[in-house]
Amino acid sequence: MPFFDREFKEIFSAELISIFGGLLVGIALAIYTDKLLLIPGMLILLPGFLEMRGNISGSLASRISSGLFLKVITLKKPRSRIIQGNLIASFLLAFIVTLSLGMIAFLLTLALFHVTEPVLIILPVLAGIIANIIQIPLTLALTFYLFKRGHDPNNIMGPFLTSSGDVISIFALLLTLVIL
Amino acid sequence: MRKLTHLLQKIRKLKRSQHHHLLHQVHTKHKISRRTLFYIKEYSSEQKVISTVLKESIKILILASLISSLGGLALENIKQAFISIIPLVILLPALNDMIGSYGSIFSAKFSTLLHEGRLNRNWQHNPELKKLFLQVLVIASITTFITTSIALGISWFTKHQLSLGFILKIFLISFLDVLFFISLLVLIAIFAGFYVYRKKEDPNNFLIPITTSIADLGNMLVLAGLVLLFF
Repeated sequence: MPFFDREFKEIFSAELISIFGGLLVGIALAIYTDKLLLIPGMLILLPGFLEMRGNISGSLASRISSGLFLKVITLKKPRSRIIQGNLIASFLLAFIVTLSLGMIAFLLTLALFHVTEPVLIILPVLAGIIANIIQIPLTLALTFYLFKRGHDPNNIMGPFLTSSGDVISIFALLLTLVIL
Repeated sequence: MRKLTHLLQKIRKLKRSQHHHLLHQVHTKHKISRRTLFYIKEYSSEQKVISTVLKESIKILILASLISSLGGLALENIKQAFISIIPLVILLPALNDMIGSYGSIFSAKFSTLLHEGRLNRNWQHNPELKKLFLQVLVIASITTFITTSIALGISWFTKHQLSLGFILKIFLISFLDVLFFISLLVLIAIFAGFYVYRKKEDPNNFLIPITTSIADLGNMLVLAGLVLLFF
């Protein structure tokens, strides 16, 4: 079993993409500190919000990958009931989780810092809807594409989704702030 | 063939929690793997997929959000000090991503190994698992070095004061943080993965959210602690 094999290269190149995504978000945070980080409770909300996209899409990609390897899902039927069910479930999960996240951040900020900040509830829900409209179909398409090209989507999708999820989330948060 | 299709239709109608003799019968007679039958039973109809995914994921995702929020709370408490250290503000999402994504890669590949029956109780001596862990550790060290260097470089370009001591502190914080949490997440993924799999649930739905949220919580608690300690 060679150490620097195809898997090593796949994980490494995917991670390189991932760190640049993370750094882009970090730079955006450093630039927009006054707009984002200075909102009371924003640091409570932000990690969970950034992570959620990877969690939901990561599990979706992993389920689809396992299904493809087990041949329960086939590339010939991309609109099968299993896939449709997975997509609907992922959208529902995203809505419920962003709402919970907003409530948690709102209540913690109120309880610990005595600050009432309703934007902490509205912001993640609206930004979550915007971000998932982009992220979930992207996840499905890329998992299929990678499997079709003979790659193991498990090696690539994890880092790609956390990174693209971060970038899409920050974009959605800033867009929602502009809308609000 | 018609008989097999009929049997598979019957499996699709089984309740998720039900351990039916039909699964064993189809497995032995028609040579369909247990894992495939597990997927047919778990995610067979659209309605069943939605309810299964929601049921298995919702609790863990809300728990993950709560854990991440607690991590954020640690940084919220030292917000002014934290946002004044620009390299750490730039590094925070990248560190969270790195730790979380290495946890996700390990969890996803560990789940696949479990589903394919390539792991047993004697996992400590499994060469595939050992190799995967070492690969993740080596890649993590290289990417941590690159990320920290870039964050420091960007800070330097934005005229942030960088002394040698400050640079070393940032490197030390990054390496301690990443290598410690990757080792911890691998252990959590293995023990929790076996536990969930034994309960006939899909480890994919559980391991990824829990490893990423522990990564977030731990990362931010450690960062908050190290900021207080070093700065």
